Amino acid sequence: MRFIRGSRFDARGAVRAALAAACATFAVAAAAQPQRPQRIVSINMCADELLLRLADRDRIASVAWLSRDEDNSNVAALAKGVPVNHGLAEEIMALRPDLVLAGAFSSQTSVQILRRLGVNVVEVQVPRNMDEARGEIRALAAAIGESERGEKMVGEIDAGFRALGLSAQSPRLRAVVMQPNGFTVEKGSLVEDIMNRAGLENLASRIDAGSYLSIPLEAVVLQQADVMILNGEVYGAPSLATEALSHPVLAALGRRLKVVAVPPKLWTCVGPGLVEAARLLVAQTRGARAARR
Amino acid sequence: MSAPGSQGAQRTDSHYAALVGALGFVVVAAFLVSLFVGYAGLDAPQAVSDALHGADTLPAIVLVELRLPRALLGCFVGFSLGLAGAAMQGFLRNPLAEPGIVGVSGAAALGAVTAFYSGLSQIIPLALPIGGMAGAAASALLLYALAGRGAGTTTLVLAGVAINSFAAALTSLALNLSPNGFAALEVIYWLMGSLVDRSLPQVWLALPFMAVGWLLLLASAPALDALSLGEATAQSLGFDMRRLRLQLVGGAACAVGAAVAVSGAIGFVGLVAPHVLRPFVGHRPGRLLLASGLGGAALLLVADIAARLLPIRPELKLGVITALIGAPFLFHLVYRLRREG
Repeated sequence: MRFIRGSRFDARGAVRAALAAACATFAVAAAAQPQRPQRIVSINMCADELLLRLADRDRIASVAWLSRDEDNSNVAALAKGVPVNHGLAEEIMALRPDLVLAGAFSSQTSVQILRRLGVNVVEVQVPRNMDEARGEIRALAAAIGESERGEKMVGEIDAGFRALGLSAQSPRLRAVVMQPNGFTVEKGSLVEDIMNRAGLENLASRIDAGSYLSIPLEAVVLQQADVMILNGEVYGAPSLATEALSHPVLAALGRRLKVVAVPPKLWTCVGPGLVEAARLLVAQTRGARAARR
Repeated sequence: MSAPGSQGAQRTDSHYAALVGALGFVVVAAFLVSLFVGYAGLDAPQAVSDALHGADTLPAIVLVELRLPRALLGCFVGFSLGLAGAAMQGFLRNPLAEPGIVGVSGAAALGAVTAFYSGLSQIIPLALPIGGMAGAAASALLLYALAGRGAGTTTLVLAGVAINSFAAALTSLALNLSPNGFAALEVIYWLMGSLVDRSLPQVWLALPFMAVGWLLLLASAPALDALSLGEATAQSLGFDMRRLRLQLVGGAACAVGAAVAVSGAIGFVGLVAPHVLRPFVGHRPGRLLLASGLGGAALLLVADIAARLLPIRPELKLGVITALIGAPFLFHLVYRLRREG
């Protein structure tokens, strides 16, 4: 899903894809820092989100340019005024960083050059569930020397999920995530974990079809989903990818199918947005849940 | 090629009727198979009966909203391409004249892309087929200006290469300029074509224009027959060459332009269908028109069924499958042309 969101052939797209690709969780590859880094540069949009939320402004030297874009980032307001970079080794070296946060799949050439030049680079991974997401918040917080704030964030997220107020008896609704180009959400992904916490069963996990699963509309219809989650900008500039999301067959399904739109930025990266996405799902499916009871 | 005697004419008439009947049967059969081939098991009798009784059940919705538009478009787009290929080959007297090779499909895709990604077709849905037709018409006129009637194969193919690469470059440019991040990936759809998740409104949008194109092209049959005896003879028989040219350019633009606007540019159908069927119609270009249209429809329906049955996901683009069938065909033609050379 993250690959799909940011795909474009031009340079802008390459950066965007690479950055978005490795969002959400952080496996700290580097050894713990002896002293707190004072000039932190992030070249990954998801690292940006945690960095901007956890570290004081004066220790952040630069964040990825995408984080200023409100459509992509949950922390666009925080990123205002912070210098931005485009993930190029040259511009990063000019900032003389003592810590660089990068995605595991992003800007590999830049990362290799930075490492050769002796810069401390911490790579982030893609989380597959909430446990890993918690681990990554803690790991990144430790790397930047803000473990206490990291722990607080984990606690707030856990409390947010508990406050969803779904009893164990609540019926599980069958849901399918539709992303542009007919892609859906794979089995064993963070998004699926969030759906489960919001009382939804991911229909796509019944079909085992590899990680980047494309789902034909007719399978969506015949699998009798209760909820369809639109994960994409349906009303943006025209593209065929998003056109399928407004296919007349969805209108024909009418009351049988509750359509919920979730802004992709909420659950692309690890952060409080995950709780917000779950809250949105619970609130929007209340009617469908009541009908099932 | 010479005019057959009256006794022979009677015999070829019944042959022709049998051929058209057989092709029609194949098209209907392929259409029905296309309706009931898909990714999810569909209870076919249930779906048909629900759909006919107007019941709003899931099988009926899938049949009417998803399978039907796909099968209809496979049929209509294939008919348009096969018919346009036959007409262009008859008129230009060139075996390589085909909407895909000479760039008419590519230019139609450019027109449709411009209408779609500029957002124009969201305001006025008609802008999409009109864009496709404008692109097709422009390229057909350009092709005629560059190559002309009876031009050598080299001239025609070079003109086609020029138009095709220009249209493909501008299509990529238009998609790259789109503010939508997905657009750039969609160039493959426009250059290769697909019928995935098409809808009934798209069928109704394109069908009227395609139908006008079919009528214009089919009505040119007598003139094309006369033309096979030479331009001077055709003129002496009372056929106005300027009118015929306009009719063919307009017909091909409507049929191919509207088809490409809803399916992308699918190649080789207009090449394979006329060549396979030409011997069966006694090499008469007028008779080849309808037969080639039906042949194109059958070919595209079968290719689209294959796309869904092949174990490759996401499914292959239709143009890939028609190219797998058509490219060896093109090689064969080139080889033969060289020998005749």
